[in-house]
Amino acid sequence: MLGGYVGKILRVDLTSGKTSSENLNLKWARLFIGGKGLGAKYLYEEAKPGADPLSPDNVLVLMTGPLTGTTAPCAPKYAIFTKSPLTGTYLDSYMGGYFGAELKFAGFDGLIIKGKAKKPVYLWISDGKAEIKDTKGLQGLDTHETEKRIREELNDKEVKVASIGPAGENLVRTACITVDLYRQAGRGGAGAVMGSKNLKAIAIRGHGGVSVPNIEEFIEVCKEITKNDVLTEANLWAKTDGTPCFLPMTQEGGILPTRNFQMGVFEHATDIDSDAVKKIRVRRRACYGCPLGCGNLTQVKEGPFAGTIIEGPEYETLALAGSNCYINDLAAISRFNILCDKLGLDTISTGDAVAFAMECYEKGIITKKDTNGLELTFGNVKAYVEMPKLIAHRKAIGDVLAEGVKRAAEKIGKGADRFAVQVKGLEYPGYEPRGSVGMALAYATSDRGACHMRAWPANVEVFGGGDPFTTEGKAQLVINDQDLYCAKWSLVVCDFYAIKYENIARLASAATGWKLSVDDMTVIGERVWNLTRMFNVREGFTRKDDTLPHRIAKEPLKGGKADGRVVKPEDFNKMLDEYYRLRGWDKEGRPTKEKLKELNLA
Amino acid sequence: MKLEISPEKCTGCWLCAAVCSARLAGEFNPSKSAVHVESLLPEKIVIRPYVCIQCDEHPCVESCPVEAIVEDKELGIYVVDKELCTGCGACIEVCPYNGLRLDPAENTAIKCDVCRGKPRCVEICPENVLSMVEER
Repeated sequence: MLGGYVGKILRVDLTSGKTSSENLNLKWARLFIGGKGLGAKYLYEEAKPGADPLSPDNVLVLMTGPLTGTTAPCAPKYAIFTKSPLTGTYLDSYMGGYFGAELKFAGFDGLIIKGKAKKPVYLWISDGKAEIKDTKGLQGLDTHETEKRIREELNDKEVKVASIGPAGENLVRTACITVDLYRQAGRGGAGAVMGSKNLKAIAIRGHGGVSVPNIEEFIEVCKEITKNDVLTEANLWAKTDGTPCFLPMTQEGGILPTRNFQMGVFEHATDIDSDAVKKIRVRRRACYGCPLGCGNLTQVKEGPFAGTIIEGPEYETLALAGSNCYINDLAAISRFNILCDKLGLDTISTGDAVAFAMECYEKGIITKKDTNGLELTFGNVKAYVEMPKLIAHRKAIGDVLAEGVKRAAEKIGKGADRFAVQVKGLEYPGYEPRGSVGMALAYATSDRGACHMRAWPANVEVFGGGDPFTTEGKAQLVINDQDLYCAKWSLVVCDFYAIKYENIARLASAATGWKLSVDDMTVIGERVWNLTRMFNVREGFTRKDDTLPHRIAKEPLKGGKADGRVVKPEDFNKMLDEYYRLRGWDKEGRPTKEKLKELNLA
Repeated sequence: MKLEISPEKCTGCWLCAAVCSARLAGEFNPSKSAVHVESLLPEKIVIRPYVCIQCDEHPCVESCPVEAIVEDKELGIYVVDKELCTGCGACIEVCPYNGLRLDPAENTAIKCDVCRGKPRCVEICPENVLSMVEER
């Protein structure tokens, strides 16, 4: 018996208003498993090459994996797949919470959404059926209010909702999708794609189940892995601290983005580190089936932002919307965070966009005329907390920043592109490459633009006692991570469980009933990475797009262990050459015919 | 024997419900679980499981019009006789602990039977929210 999957895909055409259910393509499931692999395959096959990401031609795919909804540890996740309006590349973005499990309980492994509704709608999926419903008064509402109103309308408090806020409706290219209140498909602008389709939300309720070939054996495998491989030294940080524990580590390593990537250390780091977050933590929250429970439910206790409740802030928010904006007021970061969650904005890209605008303002490139009178200097809390609203509603400079820093810099001109820190349009996350050179390659070769979740060499070269400055061995390090992450995100297992191929294979086999070996899963990882690269090649991306931002290449970093350093373009190119060669790609970064054949992709 | 709940420790992972449903329904399906998790977010930071705690008062027993909630003398607990249950929901209404649920597919009440001695939810809970007390 094949298990793990529920066996159906829901297809939605918003233009015609028709929905239909079809069988999951099991041949593809065997080749790509689920999550990233299967979602990428469906996207690759369904997408119209060259389509405008914000046109009805773009496709939204949502995909769970064979572990979703089971007792597999740390496997709550599922992802949304589309062509990014921010980068024009392949995009996948992962969400936690309970929504993915609920989709399977409702009888579907995934969704394919095409077209554009004539007026704003939401999709209601319930026990094998789907309905496209009028949003009535939901337009313009924030994500929390949208969730609440949909539950009220459907008269079921257990309905799970993924929704966009005003940012997505206003086609902000950094708009996220918020799900289960505090979980986001953050990066790359999937929220704007929903907005472009007039799709305000997806609501799900299911009373069905997920079966596996031998449920007692499966539970035993999960328990054994939880005990011996999850609740262990490598992962317990997620339980005790959550991601804020990275902040003292990046500060120590001199790779904490500060003042729009001008500096690698933040003098007020202790105001926003893990201990600071613990002081406002009320309790922890877990996603479905997770024994780690990394979410910090915090509440601001005093001051102008008193009462703010969020799950977070996470490390990336503390870094990009904290130190990178020179903000050391944790309550203000919490306020910024909840605004982004509710308005529907990615905190990483939005933090970076605000930091970029602060530098423009300090350099006199933009003035109070552009900022609605805000004194937009680094560290100015009063101006800082207004910025998410300006961006989400496309007011004043917010309208420019809503396009992401790459397009904003082009529009602003006056050399602003020299400090717009991004790859392919996706703003840099929280690990400064001048003090962790492998990260430059990780960001350059990531399939969705500058992303820390495709490869994380900082873990070895900075936190693991390696050499953060040598280029030696970094290409292979990046490749190993990318392939491993592709495999784990095809199950889908969360980033925060440092799973290796052996347990990936065990869990995948126990759920599906296929006998999947470590070698099988290794090949699947590489296959998936090559598939997403092929999507980008088809969209015209080549070596010229695998870039090193000007600031990182030319401006010496200030402060910390990497003080005075740059990533030299010749060093970067050496790594890139080696990377393509080891990948079996040509000098332009295109997978060769032989490689594609070897991986069953041609 | 009965379950005890320390609600302040719950993270809302639903593992309790997932393993419970595996036993009761042979699949992972929280809607067929005897234990259930609720959250009051975003208004209040409250997350907690609800399950029958085999209370001394057991108003569910008296509420049942068909006497489907019967004592298991061996274990000293009250359980639902699915053959008799009509799914009227009276027990669910009357329970002050929010401890019973309705199986939507079979239209019968779901009431925890403490796994007849070795509760799976207690074993799997990563936060020790649920525990078993032998005496009652």
